[in-house]
Amino acid sequence: MAQMIISVGREFGSGGRVIAEELAKRFNIPIYDRHLITEIAEKTDLSPEEVEKYNEAPKMKIFSRRVNGFSNSIEDNIAEMQFNFIDEKAKSGESFVVVGRCAETKLRKYPELISLFVLGDMDEKVKRVMKIYEVSEDEARDLIIKKDKKRKRYHNYHCSGHWGDSRLYDLTVNSSRLGIEKTIDILEKYILARIGK
Amino acid sequence: MAAAQIFAVIIFVAMFIMIVLDKIERHLVTLGSGVLTLIIVFGICMRSGSAIWNTLAIKNFATKDFWYQVTESESKGINWATILFIAGMMVMVEGMAKAGFFRWLCMRIAYLVKCKTIPVFITFMIMSAVLSMFIDSITVIMFLAAVTIELAQLLKFNPVPMILAEIFCANLGGSATMCGDPPNIIVGTSLGFSFFDFLTNTGLVAGISLVVSVIFFYIVFKKEIVTEASGNVDMSKFPKPSEAITNKKDFVISSVIFGMAVILLITHATTHLTVATIGLFIAVITLLTSGKSALELLKKVDYKTLVFFIGLFIVVGGLEETGILELIAEFIENISGGNIMLMIAIILWVSAIASAFVDNIPFAATMVPVIQSLAETAGVDLNTLAWALSIGTDIGGSATPIGASANVVGTSVAAKNGHPISWGRYCKKLAPATVIVLAISTVYIFVRYL
Repeated sequence: MAQMIISVGREFGSGGRVIAEELAKRFNIPIYDRHLITEIAEKTDLSPEEVEKYNEAPKMKIFSRRVNGFSNSIEDNIAEMQFNFIDEKAKSGESFVVVGRCAETKLRKYPELISLFVLGDMDEKVKRVMKIYEVSEDEARDLIIKKDKKRKRYHNYHCSGHWGDSRLYDLTVNSSRLGIEKTIDILEKYILARIGK
Repeated sequence: MAAAQIFAVIIFVAMFIMIVLDKIERHLVTLGSGVLTLIIVFGICMRSGSAIWNTLAIKNFATKDFWYQVTESESKGINWATILFIAGMMVMVEGMAKAGFFRWLCMRIAYLVKCKTIPVFITFMIMSAVLSMFIDSITVIMFLAAVTIELAQLLKFNPVPMILAEIFCANLGGSATMCGDPPNIIVGTSLGFSFFDFLTNTGLVAGISLVVSVIFFYIVFKKEIVTEASGNVDMSKFPKPSEAITNKKDFVISSVIFGMAVILLITHATTHLTVATIGLFIAVITLLTSGKSALELLKKVDYKTLVFFIGLFIVVGGLEETGILELIAEFIENISGGNIMLMIAIILWVSAIASAFVDNIPFAATMVPVIQSLAETAGVDLNTLAWALSIGTDIGGSATPIGASANVVGTSVAAKNGHPISWGRYCKKLAPATVIVLAISTVYIFVRYL
């Protein structure tokens, strides 16, 4: 099978991760999401919980400094390690799905990249988050706003394009319109069309 | 004048904030701020061609004093001597790194102490301080930290304490000489000090502090560094120092050039050659002897840092020409109530605290005219204030991971190799060490100069 790299950017609660997992299953290729955390934990002195704390997190600018491409920020260094990891995977010819990690920008140089962004209506996202995390409506709404703000800052710091801007991705889709299952079907068809099947 | 002062301050504060926010590269920030100072402060507000001319200081190149200086003289505006010297040293260091000098030196020292952990720990601290007396701390730490990590993997010890101690000693070593740390070059060239002036003043206290620091780090890090493997080392597994040398001829040439630079710097008060002349000479010699690699070396020079300096000096020139720095000097004089001891303590400790959080280069550049003004109005010895400023800015930078370039590079090299260092981990041992050295320095200045 020819190489296929699928990047999935997502809003919190939009079902983007579930969609990415299902796409990986349907195309029988690995998915890099949690795996990127354990991988970094194995390579460093940090526990997976500590890596999780710094994962896809924007750095505190006031506590960070850059000198000739070197940065003291753990967030920056973990991000760099993850970018290198996915880049090496892409370079090796492996097919995979990657969730987040600015992959649509960091892997743009590979023609095999198919970049997707999943968004959702606030009401639908709140319902999903309430169900999965067993929280109240207000808590769910706050969590979505907080997580998306963090992802946006992380993305926009490491990339020149804006997080969620349709011009950055091959396809952006609102999962609330057709529901998760049908959205996966549509995306599968799109990917098959892209790889010429 | 009021409008000029307001704009000079706004540009300066905005520049500092932009540097901290790190959204735009810092050299573009200072250059942009420099251009704004020239246009708005000098051009529109002051309508003063002479202020622009003084700050650009291009006429300095044509003066004999710039290249050959018999009597001490002070400079204003863009400190071209600093820029030329740093550029020259950059070219030399690139040549040395290309030939494998630094890696060879690190491996050689490790071999000399038979790769035993504690002796490596102690010798690397001393080597970090000594090398930083002549070479920029970024280069020193880049190579030392990389070799430390390599040794740590082979000897199975945690490299973080050793890297932290090396960072601290690099900053300490840098404070000992005129060319060790950018603030010292700025202070030295602005106020007309020699290499020897620094060595016999800040150098002496740096030496005392190094002894104390080595003991301190040995006590606090001993448990973390000593491992079961420490006593039983199989040297055959280690890479040989000679393997680090990429080209023997280049290695010999770069070592000789480095030796020449050290001699020229030590003797420059006697030869009357300025650091600008030495920088230019070293760069030319390195380029002439590097043959086909000359272009490659020139390309590797960190022009962004040079541009950063140029922009910075213009912005500080704006504060100087508009009299803002004199106001700051007056303020320091007032709050110290004319008490010289308090004044010196303020300069040293405020410089140290500021340098722990913001880049110490803009801080030092700003403070030089302040202490000049303070010396004139309050009748304090300028030299004493200069040593307090140098020690404060150089040593204070060690307290936090963002205080000095060496800290950022050291912690970054550690993180890239799987040993991220948090603020807490860093400050737990290095902040107390910084306070100890600052306290020693305060007592030293009081006893020696007052």
